[in-house]
Amino acid sequence: MAPFDLVSLLGVTGSYFIYLAIGFAFGFILESSGFGDSRQLAAQFYFRELRVVKVMFTAIVVAMILIFWSTALGLLDYDQIWVSPTYLWPGIAGGLIMGIGFIIGGYCPGTSLVSAATLKLDGIFFLLGNITGMVIFGETAGLINTFWNSGYFGTFTLPELLHLETGIVVVLVTCLALGMFAGFEWIRGLIYGRAK
Amino acid sequence: MNTRHLPEALGATVLLLASATLAFHGQPDLEQKWEFLAPKFEPLLAEREVYIDPAELLHLMNDDYIHLVIYDVRSESDWNEFHLVDSTLVALENLKLERDRLLSLPETAVVVVVSNDEMLATGAWKRLMAVAKPNAYILEGGLNLWLNIYGVPDEETGGHGKASLGKPDGTLRHPFKLALGDRHAAAQPDEHHLQHREYTPKVKLLKKIAKAGGCD
Repeated sequence: MAPFDLVSLLGVTGSYFIYLAIGFAFGFILESSGFGDSRQLAAQFYFRELRVVKVMFTAIVVAMILIFWSTALGLLDYDQIWVSPTYLWPGIAGGLIMGIGFIIGGYCPGTSLVSAATLKLDGIFFLLGNITGMVIFGETAGLINTFWNSGYFGTFTLPELLHLETGIVVVLVTCLALGMFAGFEWIRGLIYGRAK
Repeated sequence: MNTRHLPEALGATVLLLASATLAFHGQPDLEQKWEFLAPKFEPLLAEREVYIDPAELLHLMNDDYIHLVIYDVRSESDWNEFHLVDSTLVALENLKLERDRLLSLPETAVVVVVSNDEMLATGAWKRLMAVAKPNAYILEGGLNLWLNIYGVPDEETGGHGKASLGKPDGTLRHPFKLALGDRHAAAQPDEHHLQHREYTPKVKLLKKIAKAGGCD
């Protein structure tokens, strides 16, 4: 039953090859979907171009369905998967900062890596800014320790929040994603006319 | 329908069908999860590889290098009568709430489940495996055997001495005049002042401990 301990199964070197293969596939899809181009990423916010948002949310929905189907069939132990604990207030603050940074800079931390991989200057500088920000945060995190640990809810997921069965939440999230795609297309049509 | 959107419509239909059938199928509860895990873990129970002798638990209780977690899954009334020092009372149905704690345990951690005999503890061990697969063991013979070995027949217990362990039925075989909880002498016996008891060590740590320093 997954998740598998790759190191004990394949050894350290063998596991590195798996990481390499997954990283290659991930990078290939990101770059070919336009995640490495700040103009395409910024265009999502103005509904001019929707490829990135569609790829991202389709990936989320497919991963969600695969995870919970695998769990239902006994192929995966969901409880062994790391689900980040919720720290509500710092989460909201961090989301705001990242959102502003994304729309101003054209990248999020991950996409700046994709961009830097193709040696785009804006991506490289964004990445350098990321690293500098991380170092400064690391050195000053102690000053905001109380806030940083506030709003702790442990591992808190949508089924617990909504008091619904996991399967129902999966359906709702799928409908939300599909509805969002249709809604965004409609808005794009309104603003820019029908897509060619 | 515009055929240009056919792939998108097909993709959306597949996602909706997959999620709807998943909602209908449901997610496994702890019993079903145990059934998935049973082929791997049932042999450990059958070969008694996870049942540890009371002397081994006592040794763990006195080993400062080991992060020991003892779950007592008996009723609250039995717990009030007697329980081991630093043990945690958890009802069987609440073991799933221990997931976060179990997943954050260090590699030097050992979890031991205790009940009056082995029946309830074995059920709890299965649930623990389904919840978080910790490095968990079961107290052999339960607290009834523990009290037979370490429960000195002193005045506060009315000299209950050794109880018959006969056919296990989940009950506490030792009568107590007072509910002493962990203030009973047997709740934390001093390993160094007791007669040595031979046992086969079964606990395996996930990480080897390098003991250094000190005077011993």
